[in-house]
Amino acid sequence: MINFEEELKKFHPSLEVEDAEEAIYNQDLTDMADLMVKIVKESKKAGE
Amino acid sequence: MNCYQCGCTLSEHDFCTNCGADVALYKRIIYISNRFYNDGLERAGVRDLTGAITSLRQSLKFDKNNVEARNLLGLVYFETGEVVAALSEWVISKNLRPKKNIADDYINMIQTNQNRLDTINQTIKKYNQALTYCNQDSLDLAVIQLKKVLSLNPKFIRAHQLLALLYINSEEWERAKRELSKCLEIDTNNTATLRYLKEVDEMLLPEENGKGSSKKQKKSNEVIKYQSGNETIIQPANMKESRGVTSLLNLGIGLAIGIAIAFFLILPARIQSAKAGIDEELRKVSEQSDSKTATIDELQQQLGVLQAENETLQQDVAAYMGSDDGTLQSVESLLRAADAYLTDAEDVTTVEDYLDQIETEMAEEGEQENSEAFDNLYHTLLALVGPQVAESYDEEGHAAFWAGNYEEAIPKLAKAYQYDPTNGQALFDLANSYYRSGDETKAKELYQEVVDLFPNTEKADKSAATLAQIAGAE
Repeated sequence: MINFEEELKKFHPSLEVEDAEEAIYNQDLTDMADLMVKIVKESKKAGE
Repeated sequence: MNCYQCGCTLSEHDFCTNCGADVALYKRIIYISNRFYNDGLERAGVRDLTGAITSLRQSLKFDKNNVEARNLLGLVYFETGEVVAALSEWVISKNLRPKKNIADDYINMIQTNQNRLDTINQTIKKYNQALTYCNQDSLDLAVIQLKKVLSLNPKFIRAHQLLALLYINSEEWERAKRELSKCLEIDTNNTATLRYLKEVDEMLLPEENGKGSSKKQKKSNEVIKYQSGNETIIQPANMKESRGVTSLLNLGIGLAIGIAIAFFLILPARIQSAKAGIDEELRKVSEQSDSKTATIDELQQQLGVLQAENETLQQDVAAYMGSDDGTLQSVESLLRAADAYLTDAEDVTTVEDYLDQIETEMAEEGEQENSEAFDNLYHTLLALVGPQVAESYDEEGHAAFWAGNYEEAIPKLAKAYQYDPTNGQALFDLANSYYRSGDETKAKELYQEVVDLFPNTEKADKSAATLAQIAGAE
């Protein structure tokens, strides 16, 4: 049985067009490749 | 694929041929990213948009520079109505690859059409407002707002889902199912949609659950059964299949209703309008007729008045003409009297006849104004012939009086007194003549005149005595 109140909590306000710029700037673009490079660099430093 | 360290194009080896960096793991990561992109592309191809989004996001988590995956993710977002999320992905994509990027076309497509951009923004605001209404328990208003949102952007999955949730909450299962079906048409594998749909199906077909014979399932596919109060409603599931025929039927019914409205509503209204126009014209004509009738009545009244005035004036003219005749006769008599006097001054009898005639006419016509010349001539003639006439009448009157002929004496003595008002004897004897002829009333009048006009005379005394005698006899 669906709980209306609980389901309603899953709906969030949609971003408006004016807020798009801020959303883009705040987006975390770190990917696995970045992490790998970071790990490699750190391991190199540790090796030295 | 380029080296993450020097940017050189990588070969089939697990190290960079330029800088010697170990790229095995890096290549593995890029491969996984591409694998997720391919998966996302396949899912998007079969409209599993939720799955596509998941895969593409995974792809970007492995390689943020996977522009194709980012562009496709934006496109999938756009398809689900998440325009701002789509724009975000496309803008990032454009920044990563400024040239030869299809994201540029997508952004231009939205940004160049200001109306479309406004509509998108309006849709998002209304959706957020609907969500606020939901949180404030104003569910009716939320439904209205969501319907507006979906009229502006029919592919907005979240709006469809929220509307379906509201319908589920109000136990409007059919409507909820309709909204969820629309969701599935856009996104075939949305978890939330499927969960809601399962709930709705359970509510619509409560007795079918768990019994699961293939025959019944087949039957359940052909009909939709659901409970409404104490009644079980059975509705054919293939109703939508005959949509074309139904549309034609509805069109025909609509046409018939339109014609009926024209006959029963528009036509009577037109007839009523025409009748009103005719009534108005009739009223105007009637008013004009009344006005003219009133004018005719007024003119007839004026005519009556004028005719009356005319008759009065004609009578006046006739009277005036008659008076003129009299006046003319008087003038004629006066002229003849003057002529007779000038011809023979001694012939006073003729002159007196004319003057007497004038006096008679004047007495008949009553007092009226004569010209000054007429009066002067009349009085001059009277003065010239008066004494002689008076003397003549006096002689003749007294002769008759003494002879006892009072009937003859009365007019002559009256004339004698008329032409000579100083002749008291004539007046006295005139009174005696009346007395003796038996007219005591006239006699008393004349005796009294004698007493009044000739006081302290013998005649006055005698008259007074006679008056006393008459009074005593009465």
